[in-house]
Amino acid sequence: MKKWITGSALLAAMALGLAGTPASAQEPGVFKYAEQVKLITMDPQKQSGSGIPFLRPAYESLFEKGPNGENLPLLATDYKVNGLDVTITLRQGVSFSNGEAFNAEAAAKNINRGVELGIVEGLKTVASASAADEFTLKIMLKEFDPAIIDTLCYTGGMMIAPGAMADPALDRNPVGTGPYVHSKEASREGEVQVYTPNPTYWDKDKIGLARYEVWEIPDDTARLNALKTGQIDAGNWLANPQSAIIDRTPGLKLIRGTGGLNYHVIIADREGTVIPAFADINVRKAMAHAIDRTAFGKAIQFGLAVDSYQPYGEGHWGYDAGLEGVYAYDLDKARALMAQSKFPDGFSFDMPSIPLYQSRLEALAGFFKEIGITMNIAPQEPGTLARVSRTTNYPATNLVWNTNTDPKFLALRYIFEDANYNPFKAKPSEELLSLAKAGVESVEIDVRAPIYKKMAARLADEAYLIFVASAPILVGASEKTATNPTVVYRYGEDSINLRGLKAND
Amino acid sequence: MLRLIVQRLLALVPLLFIVSVLTFSFTSLLPSDPVDLILGDTGTQEQHEMLRERMGLNQPIAVRYVQWLGRAVQGDLGTSFFNSVSVTAAVMQRLPVTLSLTLVSALIAILVGVAAGIAAALRPRSWVDRLATVGATIGQAIPNFWFGLLLVALFAVNLRWFPATGFTPLSASPWDWLRSVTLPAIALGLSSSAAIARQVRSAMVGVLQQDYIRAARAQGLSSRRVILKHALTNAMVPVVAVLSFQITVLLGGALIVEQVFAINGLGTLAIGAVRQQDIPMIQGLVLVMVGLVVVVQLATDVIYGLLNPKARPS
Repeated sequence: MKKWITGSALLAAMALGLAGTPASAQEPGVFKYAEQVKLITMDPQKQSGSGIPFLRPAYESLFEKGPNGENLPLLATDYKVNGLDVTITLRQGVSFSNGEAFNAEAAAKNINRGVELGIVEGLKTVASASAADEFTLKIMLKEFDPAIIDTLCYTGGMMIAPGAMADPALDRNPVGTGPYVHSKEASREGEVQVYTPNPTYWDKDKIGLARYEVWEIPDDTARLNALKTGQIDAGNWLANPQSAIIDRTPGLKLIRGTGGLNYHVIIADREGTVIPAFADINVRKAMAHAIDRTAFGKAIQFGLAVDSYQPYGEGHWGYDAGLEGVYAYDLDKARALMAQSKFPDGFSFDMPSIPLYQSRLEALAGFFKEIGITMNIAPQEPGTLARVSRTTNYPATNLVWNTNTDPKFLALRYIFEDANYNPFKAKPSEELLSLAKAGVESVEIDVRAPIYKKMAARLADEAYLIFVASAPILVGASEKTATNPTVVYRYGEDSINLRGLKAND
Repeated sequence: MLRLIVQRLLALVPLLFIVSVLTFSFTSLLPSDPVDLILGDTGTQEQHEMLRERMGLNQPIAVRYVQWLGRAVQGDLGTSFFNSVSVTAAVMQRLPVTLSLTLVSALIAILVGVAAGIAAALRPRSWVDRLATVGATIGQAIPNFWFGLLLVALFAVNLRWFPATGFTPLSASPWDWLRSVTLPAIALGLSSSAAIARQVRSAMVGVLQQDYIRAARAQGLSSRRVILKHALTNAMVPVVAVLSFQITVLLGGALIVEQVFAINGLGTLAIGAVRQQDIPMIQGLVLVMVGLVVVVQLATDVIYGLLNPKARPS
């Protein structure tokens, strides 16, 4: 009897405990995200590369991307583009975490600061911004820019408290309107940045965490181990052996986001100034056909990349399914094209390389060798490839293109005579030039999409941009994160939308 | 002994000066440009020039060096090129992490190395000796980052006994600190323990054949007393020299092991600074590392003098 009573008491206690569980499950928890790059700056207007996950908790942009890449209002509620004038209506009742009011004056200060600093590429078309009234922001453009709202979805549209702009340590003391505030005391420089709920947030129901942590773990294996052992809930990866392991490890999930990086070869000297063979379209087409993209994707990018023949990936409004396979691997065709060219015996050229791309270039050199072209790989210091690619030191180069970038940047980087990566100042063909110009004449995606599809087809015809492989945005997640219904990955970004995010446990 | 310490500390000044000149010169010769990294792929030539001027990079290297030196002698090693983080603060924040790791791995190396060396020396050419020799060879041959990966796979990922990554400060939680430092310290200390074991064995074998050891045994002293008090003290003299070198090796090895375990120490800071060509950070790190090595060597000389009165400066 005594045992029965004790057992019943224990069962009752357990039942009470269980009954209490749902209440405790409602408690906000902690979510830990690992970033593959070290934190450089938390000043969005000085941010020029990766590291968005460090900014998103504290900063909100005027617009954000919807699940299909559409522009949705966030700190803005509406917009109108009329030629060079952009009118944006702002959300009312929002304040910065330092207590300052968010209004058109504050927004204008942000845009003007971004223009003055000149680091955010998308703001280069902006002349200035001003407040038309308390909640109406006017942006004056230098030239028509159909991607201006797109720019305002990212760092270009992130709003910093005006009072914090003078802080020389703004890069470590972010002050925005975001759902979370940065906790300097709990953060450890170089290791983890900690964010806690913003008590003044305008949409409190969307705060679902007691704490959000972004860990800096640049080593891919260490980040993988942290994910395996539950030290982090999710993290971002490139297409590498570690992400391939995540993809095949039970209990872990590799999320493939829309967007990512498209690796391509650029024939910069396409007028043949230094390498006459590059002026021959047959040579360029032969090179494009000589690449076994499927083997490249499997061997070099661990099966995580797809063959690429155009700048955009599937799911992007500029993507043209008709271009798939346009330069399918065909060695016979490549050899025939070389035979038709003025350089049937082949030639050699130098290609700059950074350590990250060494294996990619070795594979490409092997493919080109098959058609008599010798590509000499010229090692460069890490971090110098972009700069070298803007010089005439090399007749060709290799870079990655972020496939979510608005197609207008394709023209600014590769097509126009003064494009960043057109160091030989090659003149674009009339057709390409007219398509590039037509693409920026409307803000309507329905109007722009067919133009950019034609432009991609024309680029394929001219074959001076040889697209090789496109790897999507990769986020590694634990099983709990993968099944957490509040986890929403941001379109075109390697970060999670924090509005409404709740902890796994 | 005090004179030795003062002499060494005084010698540190010209040494740090020479090191700073060399570091400043060499980093300035690097072809990559921090301005490129800050502005990204799309900066215009005008922006490059403006930023270069703002960062003082358009001034002659000698001017930049003198300006830096003026601040450095006041304890200000400058600010990172890329953010508002002070070099002194960044280095000082990470120094305890790397020192923790180095000291615990040195402790492991000494304990394992001395024990294995004594065991091998007491029974030369026995299976114990051969086992210790093979173990030492393997220990020195295995790269510490690979051994670290094995330890993580077994003890962190599979058994979950230790964390796979990160470092907990001793002040935050002594238990968590111990758990966070154990695997990296073992990975780092393995090759040093092997080197120490070889040295201890060789020195002990020699000492154990000395007449005074036979005399001590003849006097009826216990084996433990003979070995630990009379033999080991003398055998440790050459070992201390090796230890000094090994601690320097451990400091260098920590740079790699910190990466494997995602520990935010001087190594991680150094790798990031070199990748970005963050010259003020590199400069500060090199100076601190040189200072550490000098302090370790000074400590070695002091211990050497305590163990061997003949080696004390007159």
